[in-house]
Amino acid sequence: MNKAKVLIVDDEKLARDIIKKYLESNTEIEMIGECTNGFEGIKAINDMKPDIIFLDIQMPKLTGFEMIELLDHQPEIIFSTAYDQYAIKAFEVNATDYLLKPFSLERFNEALNKAVEKVKQNIIDTKSYTELIKSVTKEAGSLERVVVKNNQKITIIPIDKINFLEAQDDYVMIHSALGKHLKKQTMKYYEDNLDGEIFFRVHRSYIVNINAVKQMDLFEKESYKITMNDGSKIPVSRSGYGKIKELLK
Amino acid sequence: MINPFVKNVKSFSIYLISWIFVFLLHTSILYSVIDLSLKACLADSFIFNSIFFILGLSFWYSTKFISFEVFSTIKIVTNHITAAFFASGIWLLAGYWILSGFFEGDRIYLNFLFDSLVWRFFIGMFYYFIIVALIYIIIYYGNFQEKVLKEAELKSLIKEAELKSLKYQINPHFIFNSLNSISALTLTQPELAREMTINLSSFLRKTLSSNEVQKSTLSEELNSAKLYLDIEKIRFGDKFTYTEKINEECKDLKVPSMILQPIFENAIKHGVYESIEPVNIHFKCEGQLEYMKMTITNNFDEEAVPHKGEGIGMSNIQSRLRMIYNQDNLLKFSKKDGIFTVNIFIPIDN
Repeated sequence: MNKAKVLIVDDEKLARDIIKKYLESNTEIEMIGECTNGFEGIKAINDMKPDIIFLDIQMPKLTGFEMIELLDHQPEIIFSTAYDQYAIKAFEVNATDYLLKPFSLERFNEALNKAVEKVKQNIIDTKSYTELIKSVTKEAGSLERVVVKNNQKITIIPIDKINFLEAQDDYVMIHSALGKHLKKQTMKYYEDNLDGEIFFRVHRSYIVNINAVKQMDLFEKESYKITMNDGSKIPVSRSGYGKIKELLK
Repeated sequence: MINPFVKNVKSFSIYLISWIFVFLLHTSILYSVIDLSLKACLADSFIFNSIFFILGLSFWYSTKFISFEVFSTIKIVTNHITAAFFASGIWLLAGYWILSGFFEGDRIYLNFLFDSLVWRFFIGMFYYFIIVALIYIIIYYGNFQEKVLKEAELKSLIKEAELKSLKYQINPHFIFNSLNSISALTLTQPELAREMTINLSSFLRKTLSSNEVQKSTLSEELNSAKLYLDIEKIRFGDKFTYTEKINEECKDLKVPSMILQPIFENAIKHGVYESIEPVNIHFKCEGQLEYMKMTITNNFDEEAVPHKGEGIGMSNIQSRLRMIYNQDNLLKFSKKDGIFTVNIFIPIDN
């Protein structure tokens, strides 16, 4: 069988160096490249389709978590991070493994072997992958930004730039000051993870940023409609009305 | 608390002088109002007042346990009335016994003594209440003073604790990432690993030992801040550069210790960590009339989305400066055209 292809994504050269050094002696794998930030990472992963990636979490522009949200190809992920145990607990179950910096060769090999084993068995577990994304973002408290990719362009949307979210089948349309972006995610996810003091689910298909609301008017008998600052009109359900009527007075 | 009447020479003297005054008053009233010999007046006054002088000293012990905080008013009043009754009774018995022995043949005096017992009893009660009231005043005044003192003490404790929490706290990410770099260097460049270990140790030692109000000269402070920069330099290589321009007059001026390092760390965190392009951190210092002005600038990626908690480090330094110098606005920062600028003004004490 072919050797497992390994890619490293870490912004610190020395951190990449030690992984490379540790990989040298291993005959079951092949180092195919290294990336210094998330953008490079996405491109390299989608182009080269590595089997295993070593991924740092704190990196400029895109964090490791945000990067994996935008991947088309799904490799086995081994996080290598200086984050403490608590932050790591959340994805312990879902990631192939994680390495706490600094790590020993033994610990490194243990993680690598686990990943190689999975690659050999060709297990691509999509469910655990989405679970992983869900759990890692949840741990960090409410979302600070949302990353989206349209064609090859990556956009980082700070949450205060978001006007409202609209459900579209399996996707969510994000209407923001930076334009409209479609993202594969659930409304429930955003309802749970956006700051609950600013974002309100006013309708089964809509979540609004209260700061971007211009006014709320009676539409028909007992039915309301919100007008956003950008002119969009959004229907409000009965329970949605209850959530925001006090705030709009 | 000890008996306030014998606490020191001064309070005992006041107590004694008060009783001498009572003794004189007592004598002169007896002498002028009642037709007695001077000797009888003096003896009567001396004996009765001396006894009460001694009795009065003991009231402290009962009063201190009958405090307003613990007992109801009714209980306190009943207790003191009973105590006054007994005190006065003892006083009269003792006085009567001594004086009747002393003036055995003096019918006029003995008659007077016997007749006077009733009003003397009330005077005894009166004395008792005066002394007890005095003791209460002393206790409460003492408690009040103690409270004021304690409050002041508490305030300084709180201030100290606040300073402590405002003091730079070592970021665990920084430590673990540095250790990881060292781990990598041991494989490729052991000399550099050693250098970094030494820098990290010196930096940690400085951080752990620096006291919150301690000041050091700018040169010393810069040296320890540069230990931090050196470590980050090894981690990030060409991703950042450091330049400085320090006017001669600044070098020996005193600044709070560990005030620069968090600002450099901030520049690294929001500049270097978040940017793909190289970042320059520039430090400038110039002396002004009453202040030394330090300016730290760094470029940053304007597209990087600010993380939560940004500005907390800055307001910590702000508070620390305010506590040390009792002045506001010693720290100013601004973002403009991709440059983050921090200005710190350190008052020059003459």
